[in-house]
Amino acid sequence: MLRTTINSLSAHKLRTALSVLGILIGVASVIAMISVGQGATYDIRSRVESLGADLVTVSPAFRVGRAGVASAQITETFTLELADELAKAPAVRDVVPVIQTNGTIKYRDRNLQTTLMGVTPAYPSVVNYPVARGRFFSAQDLENYAKVLVLGSEVAQQLFPDEDPLGKEVVLERAGTRFLFTIIGVMTSKGQLGFGQYDNRIYLPVTTVARRITGDRTVNFYNLRVASTDQVDEAIAQVEFILSRRISNPEDYRVRAQQDIIETVNQNAITMTFLLGGIAAIALLVGGIGIMNILLVSVVERTREIGIRKALGAKRRDILWQFLTESVFVSVLGGVMGLLMGVGAAALIASFSRWPLIVPSYAVFLALGFSLIVGLIFGVYPAARAARLDPVEALRYE
Amino acid sequence: MGELFHLEDVTKVYKMGEVEVRALDGVSFAIQRGEFLAIMGPSGSGKSTVMHLLGCLDRPTSGRMVLDGLDLLKASDNQLAEIRNAKIGFVFQQFNLLPRESALRNVETPAIYAGMKRSERVRRARELLERVGLGDRLFHFPSQLSGGERQRVAIARALMNDPAIVLADEPTGNLDTKTGEEILTLFRNLHKEGRTVVLVTHDRRVAEYASRILHMQDGRILKEERVN
Ligand SMILES: Nc1ncnc2c1ncn2[C@@H]1O[C@H](COP(=O)(O)OP(=O)(O)OP(=O)(O)O)[C@@H](O)[C@H]1O
Ligand SMILES: [Mg+2]
Repeated sequence: MLRTTINSLSAHKLRTALSVLGILIGVASVIAMISVGQGATYDIRSRVESLGADLVTVSPAFRVGRAGVASAQITETFTLELADELAKAPAVRDVVPVIQTNGTIKYRDRNLQTTLMGVTPAYPSVVNYPVARGRFFSAQDLENYAKVLVLGSEVAQQLFPDEDPLGKEVVLERAGTRFLFTIIGVMTSKGQLGFGQYDNRIYLPVTTVARRITGDRTVNFYNLRVASTDQVDEAIAQVEFILSRRISNPEDYRVRAQQDIIETVNQNAITMTFLLGGIAAIALLVGGIGIMNILLVSVVERTREIGIRKALGAKRRDILWQFLTESVFVSVLGGVMGLLMGVGAAALIASFSRWPLIVPSYAVFLALGFSLIVGLIFGVYPAARAARLDPVEALRYE
Repeated sequence: MGELFHLEDVTKVYKMGEVEVRALDGVSFAIQRGEFLAIMGPSGSGKSTVMHLLGCLDRPTSGRMVLDGLDLLKASDNQLAEIRNAKIGFVFQQFNLLPRESALRNVETPAIYAGMKRSERVRRARELLERVGLGDRLFHFPSQLSGGERQRVAIARALMNDPAIVLADEPTGNLDTKTGEEILTLFRNLHKEGRTVVLVTHDRRVAEYASRILHMQDGRILKEERVN
C-alpha cells in the first residue's frame, strides 16, 4: 500500500512538495512561536527571580490624573525613620529606604550621566546583589554621612576602562553643585531588569544623599526582605497595617511582593505563548486546507484510476485508505520537517537573544499530533469522495 | 455444467437529467459454467452495458440477475467488490492499465486487494507476464508498451486471482489481425482450462471462436446462434 502512496505522490513532485511546505510552515511556526515564548518568559522570570521571591517593595502609588505627584501625606510619611518603623514588623527582616536621583559622575576627562541610589548597608543582601570588589558602605559610613560610593559594574567599565577604580576620587555633580566622593567598591554584574538598570547606577549612603546632595529626606521607595519565604503575605499585611495608621488613603501607596510580579510575568507569558501558538495554529490550518485542495484536484484527476482499482476489486475502504494515507503521509512528512525547521529557528532566535532554547515536549507532540490530525481531517473528505465513486462512471471519465 | 449467470428481463436505464436512456430493455439469457460466449451487435446496442453487469461493476435497474446463486440486485457494494476481485477477470477495450504503475505492478494489483503475500504475488505476476510473452517487459510502464503488449498485460492482470470467469470487451478491436489472433488464442486456452469466457466483438470471425453468439440490438437480444 505504501508503494502505491509513494508512487502517486512522486508522480506529482511539485504538488506534493507544496502541500508538504504548507504543513511544514505551520508546524515550524507553532514550534518556533512556543519556544520563543517560553524562552522569553524564562529570561524575564529568571531576571525577576534573581532579586529573590521574598522581596517586597513599598512605593507611592501614582494615580491617574496626578501624574508623578505623590500626596502630601506620602511625602511626609516616606522618611528614613519610617524604615525603622517598618523593620519592627515581625515578618520583616530588613528594610532599605531608597532615595533615587540623577546626576553626573566625573573622573578626569570622562563623565557619565547616571542614577544615584541612596541606600543602606543591607541593600546588597536585600536585593540579592553582592559586591564584586572592594566593600559596600557600613553603618558607620551611614552615620557619618560619609562621601563614599560603590559603582555598578557598567559604570565602572565606562569610567575606568583600564584602571582600578578602588580608592579613586570622583566628582559627583547634581543641579550645579559638585561633591568629591571616594570609590570603595564595585558591584557584580546583574544584567538588565525591566527598566531598572542596576549596573548603570552608583550606590551611596542614603543619609549622605538626603543631607548633602538632595537636601530632601523623602524616600522614593522601600525594599523589604521578608523574614522567611513563606511569610510574604504576613509581611505585606503587617506593613500595610503600619502604613494605614499614617496614611489615610490606602490607594496612595502600594505594597508589592516580587512573587506577585513573577506571577504576573508568568500569566502574561502564558497568554503570549498561547497567542503566538494560536496564530501559528492558523498557519497549520491553512496548510491543511492546502492539502485538501490538492487532494480534491487529485481525486478528480484520478477518477479513472479509481474506477480501474474498483474494477479490480478494491473496496470503498481500500480507496479511502489510499487517499487518507497520501494525505497523512504528506502532512506528517511536513510535520517532521517543520519540527526540525521550527527548532532550528527557535535555536537561532535564542542564540541571538541569549536566552536558553526551550522546546517543551508538549509542543513537539502538539505539532506532530496536530499535523497528523490535519492530514486525517482534511484527507477524509476527498478520500470519501474518491471511495464513493461508482466504478462504471469512473471508468467512463475522460 | 450448470448455470453460472442467469438474467431475466433485465433493464438498465440511465437518467441524464430529464431524458431516460434505456441501454438494456428486457434482456433474458443464461450463461453455463465453462461456456465460451460471444456477444455481437451494432454500436450502442448495449453490449458494454451487459458486460458491466456481468462484471459486477454495476447493478441492473430492474429484472432478476443471479450469479452462482447470489442475487446481484441485493448484493452490497462490498460483496460486488469481492466478486470482482476473486471470481472475475475483466479485460477492457481501452486496456485500462494504471498509468503510473509498471506492468508487473499492474498485474499484481488485484492480488493486493485480495491480500496475497508480496513474495507470492510477485512470483505469480511474473509467471503470468511470461505466459503472455512479456517476461522481458516487467518494469515497463504502460506508456512504454505497444497496444498489443498493453492488451496482454491487461489479460495477465485479469488472470491474477485465477478467476473462474473472464470477460473481455472488444479485446481485439484496437489490434492488427496477427496480434488479434494471438490474443484470441490466449482466450481459447483460457476456455480450455475450464474458465467461462465472454467476448464482445464486432467481428464475425472473432465471434466464431466461441461456442455461442448472442446478437444484440437496441438493448435487446435479437437472436442466439450456436456455432461449431
Ligand atoms: N452512463 C451512461 N449514461 C447515459 N447513457 C449511457 C451510459 N452508458 C451507456 N449509455 C447509453 O446506453 C447505450 C448502450 O451503450 P453501450 O456502451 O452498452 O453500447 P455498446 O453496445 O457497448 O456500443 P459500442 O459497440 O460502441 O461500444 C448507448 O446508447 C449509450 O449512449
Ligand atoms: Mg461498448
